[in-house]
Parts: sequence; structure tokens; C-alpha cells
Amino acid sequence: MATAVPPPSRKQILTLFRSFLRSSRQFSDYNIREYTKRRTIDAFHHNKTLTNPSSVAAAFADGNNQLQVAKRQALVYHMYSPEVKSIMEIKC
Amino acid sequence: MASKIMASTVRRTLPHIRPLSTAAGISIKGVKISGRPLYLDMQATSPVDPRVLDAMLPYFISQYGNPHSRTHLYGWESDQAVEAARAQVASLIHASPKEIIFTSGATESNNISVKGVMRFYNENKKHVITTQTEHKCVLDSCRHLQQQGFDVTYLPVKPDGLIDLNELRNSIRSDTGLVSVMAVNNEIGVIQPMEEIGRICMEFGVPFHTDAAQALGKIRVDVNKWNVSLMSLSGHKVYGPKGVGALYMRRRPRIRVEPQMNGGGQERGVRSGTVATPLVVGMGAACEIAMKEMEYDAKRVVKLKDRLLNGIRTRLDGVMVNGSMERRYAGNLNLSFAYVEGESLLMGLKEVAVSTGSACTSASLEPSYVLRALGVDDDMAHTSVRFGIGRFTTEEEVDKVVELTVNQVKKLREMSPLYEMVKEGIDYKSVQWAQH
Repeated sequence: MATAVPPPSRKQILTLFRSFLRSSRQFSDYNIREYTKRRTIDAFHHNKTLTNPSSVAAAFADGNNQLQVAKRQALVYHMYSPEVKSIMEIKC
Repeated sequence: MASKIMASTVRRTLPHIRPLSTAAGISIKGVKISGRPLYLDMQATSPVDPRVLDAMLPYFISQYGNPHSRTHLYGWESDQAVEAARAQVASLIHASPKEIIFTSGATESNNISVKGVMRFYNENKKHVITTQTEHKCVLDSCRHLQQQGFDVTYLPVKPDGLIDLNELRNSIRSDTGLVSVMAVNNEIGVIQPMEEIGRICMEFGVPFHTDAAQALGKIRVDVNKWNVSLMSLSGHKVYGPKGVGALYMRRRPRIRVEPQMNGGGQERGVRSGTVATPLVVGMGAACEIAMKEMEYDAKRVVKLKDRLLNGIRTRLDGVMVNGSMERRYAGNLNLSFAYVEGESLLMGLKEVAVSTGSACTSASLEPSYVLRALGVDDDMAHTSVRFGIGRFTTEEEVDKVVELTVNQVKKLREMSPLYEMVKEGIDYKSVQWAQH
């Protein structure tokens, strides 16, 4: 292992978290939207206790990759979203 | 930066999709619903996870090569993707990638296992043991074998849905070629005692096949702990695409099958035909995600199941759970509502996508064979409803389902003369109905 990747700063982690939540709001599908939001919160909460800098860096890198996936898919889901929404979005 | 500009342009040019209120709704097959129903039928199929779709798209767009083309980049990269997916599927079931064969689904894998094994070991093995609650494809394959002169024993199940291990032990003969027991039942969600069955099969030296389509990604599947020789897997039950599945075939000791699809010898000669790279990549991605999310999903599903069951039970009586409560996958809740007719219950639950355990919705009026095997009364079997909870189900959806179900059941019971009799304390089974 050459030079280790520096662990992310608190500000970077918060930015990633907020980007995830923003991305989740853009999903047109009710279930995926709720899932992304919930999973983001739970994942960041779960990883809060990580102390080892390399595992923190690994989790951050993984988070960044997942964010790119979420951004792409939010677009794809938007392009193919059905005309009628889920009942959950209409009634409540 | 360019992608951000492009994304916002796409969003602006496409029609604004979020309606504030829509009176349009959907009208299909004579039914009008105001919006897309809540999806609670996870055992029938599961939605494709966006991460799986993301993994699949490149293989539809630019990396479209045939994995068996050996002479150019398109083939090489496709082959690399298939092998990576193979490893992902294998690691979820603790097998080696060399033991995974990709097929078109669990039905095909079941066909290869049941018919392929028996036809290969045709000379001295003439007997198959299976259960009465197996999936239709296994039962149909066994029936097909019976027509060709093989013997099949259909083991009965106890009222909780589990097989009796002593009965299994006593049914094994010297010419038994296969024991096929599904891991998690698709109708009632019951988990069979896989390790014990595996131990019995190892004792008698009989190959053990299991249909793990509903079990994959939901409970811990270990081909060595279970001692299975063959396992059928399905892509679309683990949030992957439809049209793909896999078959696990043990290498030590080697189990051999007669191929059901003949051709160019792909997939070790067991299943010829071009491997569908995008679908296989999707299944691999789904398995990898399932491995990471299994613990999180399992905890959540149990919580939601409790919320659903308690929500219904606090407001309704006469609710029976079909199948064992202890040995059960929580995401499959099969309930029977007494004094209610199944077809009318479903008609009132059009805003919830659920399935019934009866075949009322099909041509015949016979209740589901699985519920019949459990010994459930015909009238309870006709009112059974299967709620499937999955990764994407929300608490609000569960609350809404509880409300809709309870309201509909109460409404139907108000109209039911049988329920009136029960409330007055008359046992309607002992009534002598007068003939006119």
C-alpha cells in the first residue's frame, strides 16, 4: 500500500449526506424515493461509529460511487416515470 | 459538470411529471383506480433495484457483445461481465463460481434438476421424493416423469407446513434418485428444516435438490451447511431482472444431469444458448446487493410484518395465519379471514396489489393446493390473502393496507349472514340446512 487516501473531513461527509438526500428527492417513484432517503440516513448513522481511518475512507469512497449511481438512476426513472402516480402520493 | 447541465436540461424539456391532483386515474379491465396500487406481492416478483438497473444498462447500450465470441473486445468484455456475475451469485450461496450455471429462470433450473438428474441416472434410480407444497414446475416435472415410468412420492406436510423428517426417512428407497424440497414456500413463506433434510440425504447418499428462489437474499443460504447437490435460483425474486435464473450444481461429489437445452455446449454443456449478458449482470448485481443488505432488510421486514399483523389483529378477529409462525420468512404473510369470501375481498382491495392463495382468480374454483395440503378448510382457503413485504415497502404503505383490509373485511362481514349467526353463538357447522 502506497500513500493512504486521507480520510474525509466532517464537512465532506455532511456534503455527501446532503447530496444523497437531494438525489433521493428527485426520484419520481414513491418507493425508491422513500427507500433512498431511509437507507441513506440509516447507513450514515451506522457508519458514524467507524474510527479506523482506512475504513472511513473506504466507506466514503463507496458512498460517492453510490451517489453517482443514484444521480444517474434518478434521471432514468424520471424519463420513464408513469403518468399516474402511486396511490400514496395522490391521497395523502 | 457537463452531466449536470445535461441532467437539468432533460428535466426541463420533459413534461413535469409530478401531478398535484389527478382525476384521471387508471381504467383497465373494467376497473377504475385512482393511482398505481400499493405493491405488496413480493413473492410474485420484486421491483428491479435502481442499482441493478444501473449495472445492467451499459450491456444494453454499448457493451452488447455475445460472451461466447472469442475473437473481439465485445465478446471479451461481455464474458468478463458474465464471469464476474457468476462469482457474485456464487458468493451469496457460499459456492464456487464453477458450480453456477445460468438459465432462464428458476422454472428452467427446476426442470433441469428434476428431469435431468433422473434421466441421467435412469438405469438404477427410479424414485423421486418431493413434497405436496412444491412449486408447480417441480410437481409438473414429477408428473411428467411419472408418465415415463418413474415412481414419485409426494410427502404430505403437517398443518404448519413443514414436512415430517421421519416420513422422509422412511420414504427413501434403495432406488431413490432425488429428494426435492423447496427452501421457502412461495405461498405460505414456511422455511423447511434444510439442514436436517440435508443430513438425512447425505446419510442415504441421495442427491438433494432445493428450489431456493424465494430464499435467496432473504435468509442465509449455504450449500455446504444444507448439503444440497442442486439448487434453483431466480433473478426476479431478489430485485433483479426477469428472465434469468441460475442452477447450482455440486462438483464434489459431482452430480450430473442430462441437458434439457441442446446446442453449442455453453454453460458446461448443461444449458446451451447464448448467455443473456445484461440479465446475468443484473442478477449478479442483485445478489451482491442482497448480500450487503440482507441483515438490514431482514430486520426491517420483521418490523413491518409485525406492524401489519398486529394492525389487523387488533381491529379484527377471526384472522388465521397459514403456516408455521416460528419457521417462517417474515416477508410472506398469508392470512385467512373467517366469514369473508375471497373474491369479494379482493374486489374491494383493488388499491393494494396482493395475491390470493385460492385459484378463484383463475378458471377453476378449487382452492390452492398448498393450503389444501396444510389441511386448511375450504372456506378458509378461499379467503386467504398473501401479503408480500420487501425492501421498498414503507410503514405508511403498511398502515394504509391495514386500514383498507380491515375496512373491507368489516364491510363484508356486516353483510354476511354466517357472521351474524356466529355472533349470536350458533355453530353454523352443526346447522341442518332445510331443503326446499
